Amino acid sequence: MSAETILEAKGIYKSFSGVPVLQDVRFEVRRGEVHALMGENGAGKSTLIKIITGVYSKDDGQIFWEGQPVEINSYQDCQKLGVACIYQELSVIPPLTVAQNVYLGREPRRGKFIDFKKMNEMTQALIDKYDFPLKPETVVDHLGIGQRQLIEILKGLSQNSKLLIMDEPTASLSGKEAESLFRIINTLRSEGVSIIYISHRLEEVYMLSDRLTILRDGKNAAILEKKDIIPAKVIETMIGKVVDESAGSKKQLHSEPGAEVRLDVRGLTDKSDRFRNISFQVHRGEILGLGGLIGAGRTEVVRAIYGVDKAASGEVYLDGKKLDPSPKNSIMEGIGFVPEDRRGQGFIPLLSTTKNVALTNYDIVKTNKVFAPAGDLATAISDADELAMGKRAIESIDIRPADPEKQVGLMSGGNAQKVVLGKWLMRDLKLLIVDEPTAGIDVGAKDEIYQILESLARQGVAVIVVTSDLQELLRVSHRILVMRKGDIVREFKDEVVTQSRILSAGQGVAEEAEEAKA
Amino acid sequence: MKNINWGKYSKPMILIALVVALTVLRGTTFLSVGNIANVLWSVSVIGIMVCGTIFVFLLGGIDLSIATLCGFCAVTVVEVIHFFHDTGLGLFVGILAAIAVGALAGLFHGFIITRFGVPAFLVTFASQSIFMGLSMVVTNNKIVSCTAPAAFTAIGSVKLLGFPLPIYFMILMALLSWFVLRKTVFGRYVYSVGGNATASEISGINVKRVTVICYVLSGVTTAIGGIILASMTQQAAAATGSGYTNDVITAGVIGGVSLLGGEGTVPGAIFGAVLMGLLNNGLNLLSVPSTQTGLVKGLVIIVAVAFDAMQHADQSRKKVRKVVKKAA
Repeated sequence: MSAETILEAKGIYKSFSGVPVLQDVRFEVRRGEVHALMGENGAGKSTLIKIITGVYSKDDGQIFWEGQPVEINSYQDCQKLGVACIYQELSVIPPLTVAQNVYLGREPRRGKFIDFKKMNEMTQALIDKYDFPLKPETVVDHLGIGQRQLIEILKGLSQNSKLLIMDEPTASLSGKEAESLFRIINTLRSEGVSIIYISHRLEEVYMLSDRLTILRDGKNAAILEKKDIIPAKVIETMIGKVVDESAGSKKQLHSEPGAEVRLDVRGLTDKSDRFRNISFQVHRGEILGLGGLIGAGRTEVVRAIYGVDKAASGEVYLDGKKLDPSPKNSIMEGIGFVPEDRRGQGFIPLLSTTKNVALTNYDIVKTNKVFAPAGDLATAISDADELAMGKRAIESIDIRPADPEKQVGLMSGGNAQKVVLGKWLMRDLKLLIVDEPTAGIDVGAKDEIYQILESLARQGVAVIVVTSDLQELLRVSHRILVMRKGDIVREFKDEVVTQSRILSAGQGVAEEAEEAKA
Repeated sequence: MKNINWGKYSKPMILIALVVALTVLRGTTFLSVGNIANVLWSVSVIGIMVCGTIFVFLLGGIDLSIATLCGFCAVTVVEVIHFFHDTGLGLFVGILAAIAVGALAGLFHGFIITRFGVPAFLVTFASQSIFMGLSMVVTNNKIVSCTAPAAFTAIGSVKLLGFPLPIYFMILMALLSWFVLRKTVFGRYVYSVGGNATASEISGINVKRVTVICYVLSGVTTAIGGIILASMTQQAAAATGSGYTNDVITAGVIGGVSLLGGEGTVPGAIFGAVLMGLLNNGLNLLSVPSTQTGLVKGLVIIVAVAFDAMQHADQSRKKVRKVVKKAA
């Protein structure tokens, strides 16, 4: 394989309002190689890619394309060079055909009119060259997400792109679709196309990549050749030895012997096979951490327990009582749920703190039936009692600003999350489920949220914490379950657990090396 | 706290400015009880209808069938009165029948929207021509006049303390609607579903049920509007109420009701209706030729809505700035 460098970024610095995100980062891609870019959330991967594609400007450093220094100030600039980015949010237009999408805005013409025949032929030629499972005339509407992604790739190739950037390309693909994508990646590589491959999934990275750059805390942690890509070593590098010695990466788990079972999940199975035969228990006063990669089925499991989605089969028992999961029933039984997508599912942006907090609690706010036959339509709320509840929530979890009338949509992530959490604290809870409770929240607020969860547990509430943040998982959990591809694959209980052991379990990587060390 | 939130006072200020301007220009004619009653009377049907349709707007939905449903309900009440030989019983049954028609229409809209996930725009767009068709079939596409019983004509024209009854109906409906939206659990749910349906569902709210009830309420107030309109004009036809869809939506929008849902109040919507009435009346008093009133009304609406949008843009810009800062 030729070792000719196609893209090189040197000494890249970038900071956002004084906080350094990238420091002296070097990144180099050779012609015809698949170069993986890895790192934990917040390591700086996206920022680096956005600098390469001209979305962000760099503070310092240089970028070379085929040996020449270049300034990339917009995505158009980078397209002109021959770089195409295959985004997660696909930008294909469903009512058009494959060919029309590929040549959108660049349609071949005959006189004033589009030459559809030529367009289809050109697309077919590309499809043949790289052996894609597509037809030029197919309307995109009928295609699955995997095939739509291939159209994006074709679009890049039709512009003679020499470098494709793929950001978590398999995140929403089925196993079969992913395999088809891998095959195509291999074909592209043999045709001399370079690929930057960003993924959290180690197994894919091992399988595909020729080289691997690992970022940690905005710096180069390692640039590995294929022969040096060893699973345990990669995980270690991603997490970092420095962190390894600190308190956040290792923990002795303790479970309370003899605590009563609060939640008992038996054989829960999803309708669309995103999880199957899930059984576990949570005890009084226990914080159960649910770990694993994004897409492992964790969110789906907790949504089914709470009843947002209906499971195909399986049972849920709370304090020995069988539940019929639906949000309304769950709330009445004493289950609280804080969803992962705060803005999309957690709160009502236009409403105030008070009204958001009261939303699930109108059964306990004082109300007065003015005209009984009209039901809800004539059940007046005591404004004073509602406001008192809002104030109580603000006080009990320190929501800032301490204004019960403030619209939640205008608050910072941390305070909005406290509002979402706060409404459950107004009730007698038996079980609280929180999904990614501190995503996008600053460190101070994070800690406050952990303390709320811990104090709930002390009061006997069972807590389930779903999180992709390993440090968080270790910080709050009394016991940890790890999911992978829809199954619970590992339980950590009463033992010393490290970030790498959890990561290895979630990746399905053998733990021998780890076990040997432990 | 240095910045006074002028937006909060913008609506009363516009109203006062308009009244002052008209008073200065045409003092005695404008500021008479008779003329004020006239203005309110002219917008009372729109005011009544917006009290129910606001529920649909708050959900982020729309009801395009208001005009023709209003017409069909007017036809219903008049035809039933004739069926019962213009008796008081006929009036009673007719009113019930018209309200039932309105409620059923709303139930139908709500059902199709929640059961099949068809956008409200399409459902009510289609049903508007159904209601028009029904009116035409029932009336043979003729105007049906109705001047008896006396109680029927009284609804639209009898004056109490110098003001015609429909104004009192409008005030009553506004109070009821305000109470439901501002004071009841259901009202809270409406704002919540309109603001974020997914989050509402997770909070245990039966989003479909709330949606259906809102469309039923819109149908019922439309029916009441239709009955009063029939009484005011002492006739009914397929064309009764034509143009009201626009007027009701306009009243809401001028009054700060967001068609995206989650935002708006009954006083705001009533303000919008009254402002429209004042504009019509003022243009009339100032002898603006009727050929030009449409032009002026359109401009005023754009200014009012742009003003509202500007304030929102300001808020969201602040929010974006904050978020960007946070992200960094």
